[in-house]
Amino acid sequence: MTLLAVSRISKRFGGLQALADVSFDVAEGEILGIMGANGAGKTTLFAIISGHIAPSTGQIVFEDRLITGLSPDRICRRGIVRTFQIVRPFRAETVLGNVTTAALYGRTPAASRKEATARAHAILTEFGLAPQSTKPAGALTLSDQKKLEVARALAAAPKVLLLDEVMAGLTPAEVAQMVALIREIRQRYTLTLVVVEHVMRALVDLSERIVVLHHGRFVMAGSPEAVACDPRVLTAYYGEAGA
Amino acid sequence: MIDRRIAAPGLAWVLVIAGLPFMLEPYGLSVAITLCMWIALTQSWVLFSGLTGYISLGHVVFVGIGAYVAVLTWKILPLWAALFSGGCIASLFAILIALPVLRVRGPYFVVLTFGIAELMRHVILNAERALGASSRLLMGLPDNAVLFRWMAIFALVATALTLIVKPSRFGVGLNAIREDETAAQTIGVPVVRYKALAYGLSAFVPGMVGGILVLRSTYFEVGQVFNPMLSLSIIVMAIIGGSDDARGPLLGAAFLTLVQELLWARAPQLYLVLLGLLLIGFVMFAPKGLLGLWTRRKAADP
Amino acid sequence: MTTLLSGQLLFSALVLAALYALLAVGLNLVYGTMRLLNIAHGDLAMIGAYVAYGAFTLFGVPPLVILPVAAAIAALIGHVLYRGLFKRLIDQGGPIERLESNSLLVFFGVSIVMQNLMALAFTATPRAYNFWRDVVEVGGVRMSVNRLSILIVSAAALIAILLFLKRTVHGMAIKALIQNRKAAQIVGVDVERTQRLAFHIGFGSAGVAGALLSMTEQITPFMGFPFTVTAFLVIILGQLGNIWGSIIGAIALAVVQTYGVALTSSTYSSVLLYGLFVLTIVLLPQGLLRGLRSAR
Repeated sequence: MTLLAVSRISKRFGGLQALADVSFDVAEGEILGIMGANGAGKTTLFAIISGHIAPSTGQIVFEDRLITGLSPDRICRRGIVRTFQIVRPFRAETVLGNVTTAALYGRTPAASRKEATARAHAILTEFGLAPQSTKPAGALTLSDQKKLEVARALAAAPKVLLLDEVMAGLTPAEVAQMVALIREIRQRYTLTLVVVEHVMRALVDLSERIVVLHHGRFVMAGSPEAVACDPRVLTAYYGEAGA
Repeated sequence: MIDRRIAAPGLAWVLVIAGLPFMLEPYGLSVAITLCMWIALTQSWVLFSGLTGYISLGHVVFVGIGAYVAVLTWKILPLWAALFSGGCIASLFAILIALPVLRVRGPYFVVLTFGIAELMRHVILNAERALGASSRLLMGLPDNAVLFRWMAIFALVATALTLIVKPSRFGVGLNAIREDETAAQTIGVPVVRYKALAYGLSAFVPGMVGGILVLRSTYFEVGQVFNPMLSLSIIVMAIIGGSDDARGPLLGAAFLTLVQELLWARAPQLYLVLLGLLLIGFVMFAPKGLLGLWTRRKAADP
Repeated sequence: MTTLLSGQLLFSALVLAALYALLAVGLNLVYGTMRLLNIAHGDLAMIGAYVAYGAFTLFGVPPLVILPVAAAIAALIGHVLYRGLFKRLIDQGGPIERLESNSLLVFFGVSIVMQNLMALAFTATPRAYNFWRDVVEVGGVRMSVNRLSILIVSAAALIAILLFLKRTVHGMAIKALIQNRKAAQIVGVDVERTQRLAFHIGFGSAGVAGALLSMTEQITPFMGFPFTVTAFLVIILGQLGNIWGSIIGAIALAVVQTYGVALTSSTYSSVLLYGLFVLTIVLLPQGLLRGLRSAR
């Protein structure tokens, strides 16, 4: 069942065409990877889906309702939450406070501060961040801040989670850890995930299906194996002789 | 929701409001009125600027609007109604301009609020000139006891508002806005609505304060109730006292009232030089104010 | 209607435009390189005005002769502010928005201190003096020599600054710094020195504008702020960093003000100024500011 439908999305920034006529569907419960070289338009796409920028043309449909043009907080309440490539924690706020805030808002706001804190604590424990609950978020290592970013997004009770380059800057060991963590939460919270990733290994490991973008255009969608062998993708990444 | 520890001071405050006018001689009462005014204004400022991080350098505009409403309805409405309408109209003004104005961020917002206050000052100035009312004389003013009681109530209300909002869900949302507005939106905080609400709320008490302020002197002067130095004083008090919680403004207001009483009548320009220096000093060396310095020292000692 | 088309009005507008342009270009240099909202710019002009006033009434020195001194004093004050305050703020680090907001508050404090120190020294009563009393008549337009010299000197100063920015290495370095700070650093521009130079020229030119102003306007310690607002309005309208844009914006604003006041009355000029100011900041496309801020 199609949960999220991206339909003929284009975005122009002055003279730059960041996205051109991109369309694809996201099925309920799947892990969809978005692949593309730098400048392919991946982050712009996320920003449009989550409501931070408006598309020049095109529509986004979520659960059969139009969400194009809604503000990010309304889209969050509908059930789509995104993380940021460059993490944006509430730095002066404690780790627990960060996640509690999301639990108080989000799609299914907690009824009380107490309940929100309890929810937050449970999520932090799963992520292994509980021992650092009272630390200011700004004091965490990058790897922990990335986990916090995902934990906070999760506390907002999304149906669809957009993960924007969660692995960037992590060591191979940390990457493996994060991949396992993501698989686990998908299971536990029945999420649909859309993942943008540069770390090819992680993307191929994690995704059940991959959409390939190149220079803002949709190239193809298919299983990781199919994508890895497709001549169009190889040309895009390696040039003519690579195919 | 409200701290149980507040119940006792709250009761004490009520007794103060009722009884103080009988105990202080005229000069002391006047100082008390000033002190309550600063507390009321600074707490209201903190409610918005302290919590959301949008620093308003033009908060006097709400005082001025409330004052003008009080002047226009003087002798037409009972005092409580005039004050209440002043507060409501000030809040309305804030909410009306909130949408375009709160889209501007950082220092541009600061300078914009100052510009708006100056704009309104000149608009009302011209309006009064057009009405042919270059200076309105106010007759039959209430005495200082009444003024004090109202001002003390406003101080109480403003402090109570800050105490209630800060730990509430609304307060958590405002805090998130201050930390990172974009991230706050992503997790569902209705940023636009909240900023407007906080701005409107922070204008209410200042509007009512304006009404009492104008009744302290026998004639209404636009420049006085729209004086940008009032905005400056509020910020200095908030910075000196610290704007993290409700205690800060109390500290800052007390400090500044003291300085003001010592200097204002004798050397108003020296007073302003001191205000300017305090602003510079605290912004550069102690941005969290005296309260911040104190808590930092406490944290350093084992 | 004939008054509206008179050369008189045009002359008034031109004189005003020249002053506004000088102020705006100076602000462009300071704000463009530092990206800090120095709302004390007009107050430096105020100080220049008092320097000229003091020099003439106390020592009989003609204002045009005292110009370099006024410039030097204003530049010196700018230097002290930079060394003492802003360098420290910038070195403190932290998020850019906080730095910008904090420095605004500091500049505001500086402005208040300067205004009131001058008020303590000279009292707040407006002062004025009359240097030249002659009037020339060219083509039916009567121009006071005072205002004519303002026009000529401002224009000369502007041309000098423009040539400096265009032809000299230091000038080009300043332009580079304004356009893209990081790129300027990469190509080897000495940021520290260039910034200081821009600061000195910027504040110095405010001092010059103030000294010129004193020839025809009454001066008070609190005259500075409307000029600050005007200068900011002009550089926002003319696009930040664009020197020619400031000049065109200055002419536009001066024309609107002069003819607007002629059509209505002088009481509305403040409402017009602050109204334009508020409107401009609100309507300013966020992208413009953000793009420029990323150039830090």
